[in-house]
Amino acid sequence: MHLNPNSGMPIYRQLFQQLRQRIGSGQLAVGDQMPSVRELSAELKINLLTVAKVYQLLENEGLVETRRGLGTFVKAGNETKSAGEKRKLIADAVTQVVAEAQHLGLTEEEVSKLIHQRFEEMKKD
Amino acid sequence: MNPYIIETNNVTRSMGGTVVVRDLNLRVKRGSIYGFLGRNGAGKTTTIKMLVGLIWPDAGTIRVNGVEPSQFTVEDRWKIGYVSERQILNPFMKVEALLRFTSSFYPEWDAAVCERLLQRFGIDRSKRVRALSMGMARQLAFILAMGQKPDLLILDEPAANLDVVARREFLDEILGMLRERETTVLLSSHILSDIERVADEIGIMAQGQLRVSESLDQLKETVKKVRFYNFIKGSNGFALPEAFQFSKTSSEVAATFRVNDENSLQKLAATHGCQYEIIPLNLEDIFVEMVREPKEAA
Repeated sequence: MHLNPNSGMPIYRQLFQQLRQRIGSGQLAVGDQMPSVRELSAELKINLLTVAKVYQLLENEGLVETRRGLGTFVKAGNETKSAGEKRKLIADAVTQVVAEAQHLGLTEEEVSKLIHQRFEEMKKD
Repeated sequence: MNPYIIETNNVTRSMGGTVVVRDLNLRVKRGSIYGFLGRNGAGKTTTIKMLVGLIWPDAGTIRVNGVEPSQFTVEDRWKIGYVSERQILNPFMKVEALLRFTSSFYPEWDAAVCERLLQRFGIDRSKRVRALSMGMARQLAFILAMGQKPDLLILDEPAANLDVVARREFLDEILGMLRERETTVLLSSHILSDIERVADEIGIMAQGQLRVSESLDQLKETVKKVRFYNFIKGSNGFALPEAFQFSKTSSEVAATFRVNDENSLQKLAATHGCQYEIIPLNLEDIFVEMVREPKEAA
């Protein structure tokens, strides 16, 4: 785990992305026990509250689950993403399209129409 | 229980006829590490002295651990550890004797923690205080404050004379304290990279007032420097009254301000017919941008 506290990106985000990546790639496999918040904060020498926040975010995303009195475990079925996460994943792409459209001077209707057309084409395929 | 271990309401204090702290509303959550920042003369030390009851406010109220500092009992003081900017320890005492002497004031003294820290910092207990380096004397002051098992530890420039390795060890101890005892720490320092490592909340004082008090994460996520460029019709009409810093040439604008969501940024760029680039800022950058006098280039 590599964290840079003096970067412009908050530490919690760096840790969140790295843990998410490890879970996604299977380095942390389903059923694996995560280190406790205390252990990880001691190991990484970062604030306990930062680690707690990251675990909460991982739990919100359905990547880990907390079993009372036992600890935090990597959860099965990470493939099925919540609607919220799906929206989040596509939001960046949408932002990009909108920015591009604005730069080219295309209206919202024109862009919507293009998206609609593409959906129709996909259905035919 | 009150979620705030420190709470000040409209606190004002003058020193030598000058208002040093003005209408201060400082809130520090229990169990947090609060990075208390400001340039020299911003009012930090005056504020800290009021928190520990060394001086009293001219106006306003203060509650520390639920008690007004002027009313602190001995028991209240046990729960507040304080390492000041210029801590004076008896120079003629041996470390050993100073520890014994100090511990005699506290019924719940943590001798084990003191022992561990003496070893960790490599302080020889048979030495006299005056034979210690400046850095070691500060470490010893810190050890004494830790020995009293405080609920709240106030550290005013604790790392000023420590080298990098000693500072890292020291920060590690602060983190450990939060982990093991849920001690709240108010940490004032000019070494912002240290604060950035450990703090979860940040307060920035300027001209006797709190300019910012929020989580470090939020600060980093919202305060951005943005460069606007490729103006189709020139940058003449471009203004951002809420920016902390703003500079403009005919072809480019650079501004530091709160970016709450990127959509508003896109709209702004679209309105002025330009492109933009976001430059993330770390704590030191944010601090400088916020406390520096705003400069505006023509």
